[in-house]
Amino acid sequence: MQSSFIDKFLSNEPGSASRNFLLSALWWSLWAMGAGLIAGIEFSAPDLIHNIPQLSMPHLRMWHVNGVAIGWLSMAYVGSIYYMVPSLCKNKLWSERLGNFTMWAWNIVMIGAFANLLNGNTEGREYAELPALLDYMVVIALITIAVNVYGTVATRNVKKLYVSLWYFLGSMFWFPLVYIIGQRTFVALPGLNDGIVGWFYGHNILGMWFTTMGVGMMYYLLPRLTKAPLYSHGLSMLGFWGIALFYAPTGTHHITQSPVPEWLKAIAIISSIFLFVPVITVLTNFFMTMKGKWGLVASDMTLRFAITSAGFYLITCMQGPFQATRWVNWYLHFSQWVVGHAHLALLGTFSFISTSAFYYVMPRLTGRDWYSMGLIRSHYWLKFLGFLLMMISLTIAGLIQAAGWAFGMPVDQWSLQIRPYWFLRAISGVMIVLGQFIFAYNVYKTLYGKQVETKKSASMEAIKA
Amino acid sequence: MNSNPYRIGSFAVFTTFIIIIFSTVLMPMVLFQPKPTDTRNNYNLESSAGDALRGRQIYVREGCFYCHSQFTRLQDRGYGPLVKAGDFVYEAPHVLGTARTGPDLTNEGGRFPSQWQKAHLIEPRAVKPGSIMPSFSYLSDRDMNDLVCYIQTLGNGRTVTAYVEAPDEYMPSTPSGQALLARRHVDTNSDAASNAGRGIFTQNCAACHGLEGWGNGPNSITLEKKPANFSRPFYKQYSDQMWFYRISEGVPGTRMPRFGETLTEEQRWYLVAYLKSLPQDKEVTINSLAQLNKITPTKLPVLTKQEWEPHSGGH
Repeated sequence: MQSSFIDKFLSNEPGSASRNFLLSALWWSLWAMGAGLIAGIEFSAPDLIHNIPQLSMPHLRMWHVNGVAIGWLSMAYVGSIYYMVPSLCKNKLWSERLGNFTMWAWNIVMIGAFANLLNGNTEGREYAELPALLDYMVVIALITIAVNVYGTVATRNVKKLYVSLWYFLGSMFWFPLVYIIGQRTFVALPGLNDGIVGWFYGHNILGMWFTTMGVGMMYYLLPRLTKAPLYSHGLSMLGFWGIALFYAPTGTHHITQSPVPEWLKAIAIISSIFLFVPVITVLTNFFMTMKGKWGLVASDMTLRFAITSAGFYLITCMQGPFQATRWVNWYLHFSQWVVGHAHLALLGTFSFISTSAFYYVMPRLTGRDWYSMGLIRSHYWLKFLGFLLMMISLTIAGLIQAAGWAFGMPVDQWSLQIRPYWFLRAISGVMIVLGQFIFAYNVYKTLYGKQVETKKSASMEAIKA
Repeated sequence: MNSNPYRIGSFAVFTTFIIIIFSTVLMPMVLFQPKPTDTRNNYNLESSAGDALRGRQIYVREGCFYCHSQFTRLQDRGYGPLVKAGDFVYEAPHVLGTARTGPDLTNEGGRFPSQWQKAHLIEPRAVKPGSIMPSFSYLSDRDMNDLVCYIQTLGNGRTVTAYVEAPDEYMPSTPSGQALLARRHVDTNSDAASNAGRGIFTQNCAACHGLEGWGNGPNSITLEKKPANFSRPFYKQYSDQMWFYRISEGVPGTRMPRFGETLTEEQRWYLVAYLKSLPQDKEVTINSLAQLNKITPTKLPVLTKQEWEPHSGGH
């Protein structure tokens, strides 16, 4: 009896931690993206919801950012590497029970985040809003993941480490540290120092976690989906070291116009420009790997999600260094352009690669074929076109705002001019969230609908082999 | 010895990361410790109306900083004095902000009556039509009073003593203002500079502002926003920097262009020297068409081809 209870909640079944993480990620994505949608609608209809503090735009925003970053993307990442790391090491996950334990801990964090942030119980630090207790739990979860991943790699059955593993191992080393530093739980720093550390964290949750993990996943997925060897392992190493060196010091470029030390701004801006090096290397590697295989994008939806992600990665990383330079920052900062850029990175790039990994991993874990290809296609098009609409409307709104600030126009004048773009953004939100619900429905039908299990044993053998 | 080929790699990842943490997190903590300034927000001033520090917590709790920034930049015209690093020493967690969906609140205190602020928080569109700010009507009375008290505290240390002042960017209080002065070699108080400026004025300004600078140029007849009349005693308050700023950046909402785009700094300083000589003790009132400068349409002589195209080879 005791053992069956443990087996149910801390299952030892191979692949269960990965599957549970991915399903949790999908669950929280619906809540977090839904909150983003409601917040987006409130920009066009500010009096739509009245007198409900939990549905007030700033509270929805806190939950949206944390729910998407820590719930959807991070959990999808962990779920994916729980599959990818063992498959690259040709062994099993070091401890499936520990993996499932982490999954529960992380879900409890998300429940806590949902309850706290919507009620405004926040530490008030952008991207680090979670209350202290939840911070500790995230750190514990990150450390258990690191133990599990490092354990799996230490007991591997291959000699050489593929580049994806470099990225995963690097991220699992530095992200827990970045997270601990970024939370500032034990210290009350003076305002500007708080801002410096805050943006060190705020940018590195992107640079040392979403980017490094996402790029590692792309390195995994592209050769597998195209059945072509990686173009160059030398380039992939150059890209890895470029990101490791130049990404972490860039945080201060978020506050280049505030009175923080000029030398720190200089470090941040120069590193931001140097980021062109790893980005161009990584993308050259991806696109050269695709050489002669572009036709596959038409039929293979998983690959199409991955390639769309790489394309958006290119755009996002071309924008980034320019925005960090003083002159462009002087003009564009504080505007919705930046919000568009943030969505380009997290939604366009990393949400797409997570989705691709989800579509790749889930059938191989459960041995079930996707319920409907049509639903996958609608998911893709709703999310892709919805995102393009969001990006374009936010960018135009941002340019109008930036012109307003640069030429001394009163806020209440330019704010009227961007109302059409808020409206378009709300429509784009409807498309994206609808796409995500279609995704969830497809997953539900695939896993719990009537279907003969055919490939499970074969794919599990492949994992073990 | 060489059992693990990844020893060097992992050592390098570790070292790189520690160096980065050292340079961008630890070094700023040690090297950057600004002293508190007198211009910081004083949270004890308005204590009778509410608790400003508790209001700050409400400000953070309600996420106001997602749409309102709290630092003025050089180019933010009309948002009050610039912030200094020492203003933020006691501001934790920081509320610098990253987006301005609404206005900057650095110097918001005292701009509107507290009752207006309260009404604005309860129903923004009642007092500010077209605003997209969320309504915070769900705040309790105590929360609301404390929040308004906090808003009224913002910028209370940064008092402005002059009615007319150029943006800090042009003033000697900032590096850019100092550089501007260092580059200037025109003595704006000299008659010579004033005379030089008169020529530039006649070429660039007189069509709207009139030959004497009374705002009565021939162009002024069609302008809805009439050009400034420099004979007003008001302009005696203008500092050199204020004149220079106005010439350089124009006046948004009017036909006054940004002459910083077309005139050199030297030319603009000559103009300043001339403009400074125009304000009088009593304004020359311009209130009728008869007082405008008029242009007598002149009949131009018919030019021969040789005259208007001297290189056409007629000689």
